[in-house]
Amino acid sequence: MTADDGTDVPLSSLSFGGKIGDGGQGEVHALRDVPGLLYKSYRAPHEVDGQALAALVAVHRTLPPEERAYLDARAAWPLCRVVDGGRAVGFLMYRAPAAMTWQTPNGATKLTELQFLLREPKASWQSIAQPAPGQRRELALALVELLERLHRWGLVLGDVSQANILWTVRPAPAVHLLDCDGFRVAGRSPVLAQADTPDWGDPLAPVGSATVDSDRYKAALATGRILAQDAYTAPGRQLDVVPGELDDRQEAAVRARYTQAAGAYGTRPTLAEWRTALVGRDVIRLTAAEPAPRPPVNRAVLDSARDRGTIPLRPPPQD
Amino acid sequence: MQILPFYLVCDESGSMGGAPIEAINKALPELHQEISTNPTVADKTRFALIGFSDDAQVLQPLADLSELNTLPALAAGGVTSYGQAFRVLKACIETDVGDLKAEGHEVYRPVAFFLSDGVPTDGQWEEALRELTESRYCPKIIAFGIGEADTATISQVANFRAFMQQDSAISPAAALREFAASLTRSIVRSASSISADGSGDFTLAVDDKVPGFETVTLDKL
Repeated sequence: MTADDGTDVPLSSLSFGGKIGDGGQGEVHALRDVPGLLYKSYRAPHEVDGQALAALVAVHRTLPPEERAYLDARAAWPLCRVVDGGRAVGFLMYRAPAAMTWQTPNGATKLTELQFLLREPKASWQSIAQPAPGQRRELALALVELLERLHRWGLVLGDVSQANILWTVRPAPAVHLLDCDGFRVAGRSPVLAQADTPDWGDPLAPVGSATVDSDRYKAALATGRILAQDAYTAPGRQLDVVPGELDDRQEAAVRARYTQAAGAYGTRPTLAEWRTALVGRDVIRLTAAEPAPRPPVNRAVLDSARDRGTIPLRPPPQD
Repeated sequence: MQILPFYLVCDESGSMGGAPIEAINKALPELHQEISTNPTVADKTRFALIGFSDDAQVLQPLADLSELNTLPALAAGGVTSYGQAFRVLKACIETDVGDLKAEGHEVYRPVAFFLSDGVPTDGQWEEALRELTESRYCPKIIAFGIGEADTATISQVANFRAFMQQDSAISPAAALREFAASLTRSIVRSASSISADGSGDFTLAVDDKVPGFETVTLDKL
């Protein structure tokens, strides 16, 4: 079976290999025949907007090969819908890379969620390799670049949180998005009604909305929290960046963007601006180009420079 | 930080000896594992363990589960003094809520999972229950009855939800594993609706149905 062409797959054709996840809106099952793929089933298929899910599948299917490979390496994207009786009941996605998982002390495998990057490590999850100095910046940059790409493709993420972003520093810093069926094509309804994860909402966004600007706010939240190793800090508060993460230029740029992110809805820094801040390049200030002064007109060279008379259009007044 | 305290108030009378008490003791590390490997949940919840028989004892004072390396085991012996359980729970909650507030936290109404396998052997338990439920920080009580527990008594103890073991369907030990799993789910799901600053709606997410148990209508006296 292949999910690559995006064609709907009948539920009856799947052979399940066990439930591996249970969330509010559905369950995730392994597939017996295709170990690299997972099936997410919706708990309430009658509430699913099948067209919205098809639109997400189409985004993936119509990407140029190299961009599709970029996305597949970084997101558990809906590859194709799973249908039953003419209704979308779920979708297939790739399993998160093994580098994004860790072993609990009793041997269970868990996903390396963003929450483990935002706190001082504890004994219970000490097997997760923590970032070396500078790698928090690389992780934030990887996330910002991924979100920037999604925005460029006309997508809105909606919920961005400690639970739907995975990360690793082995072998190199990388991030991976989960719950991508919560994303939407800008201006369309989501597959299912989405709520923000507590502590990850945009306080200034209209209630229940998901927009490019609220995504930008959440990118600022995630970036600040990653750099500060603080699960609850937010734009508007002091940002205490972990020492050794940013050079002076990066730090100044990040602080400026973080302050800007606390501003009015609609004015948050774009993902491209975050990328520039995290890369730490100098910004070249462009002055508006001034038009060259016009040369004086040499009327002699113009055809129209003739001494023309006027044609009276009304008969001269009769005395 | 907004904190939701959970209390496991567990019968360790003589009749709980053997498989039932072992089932709980085996389930506690799983509860610990689940919470301590989910730091967002650990941040927002606290857990305490109270065992009761002739007397009641705070075996594990209220703590962030992810900070603990060991938990005292339950050990069976003695009779079933519900009254002592309620008195100790009430005192414990009063101290804990005060301590959490002093640390700068805001505290949601505590949640108590009460488990018993028998009928109360003390005469004054109803008065102790009344004092608990009329107290300022009265917890939401979810009561589970297994073995010889009495349905009417369990539903009287509960003020949020009550469950009785389905005798024929499941052994007490198996029922207790389901009980512990339900407790874990309640903590994880409830914590996932708590925001650090208390904004938004918090929902106490306790199972409506627990495998091996029958949901009991609460006594509205």
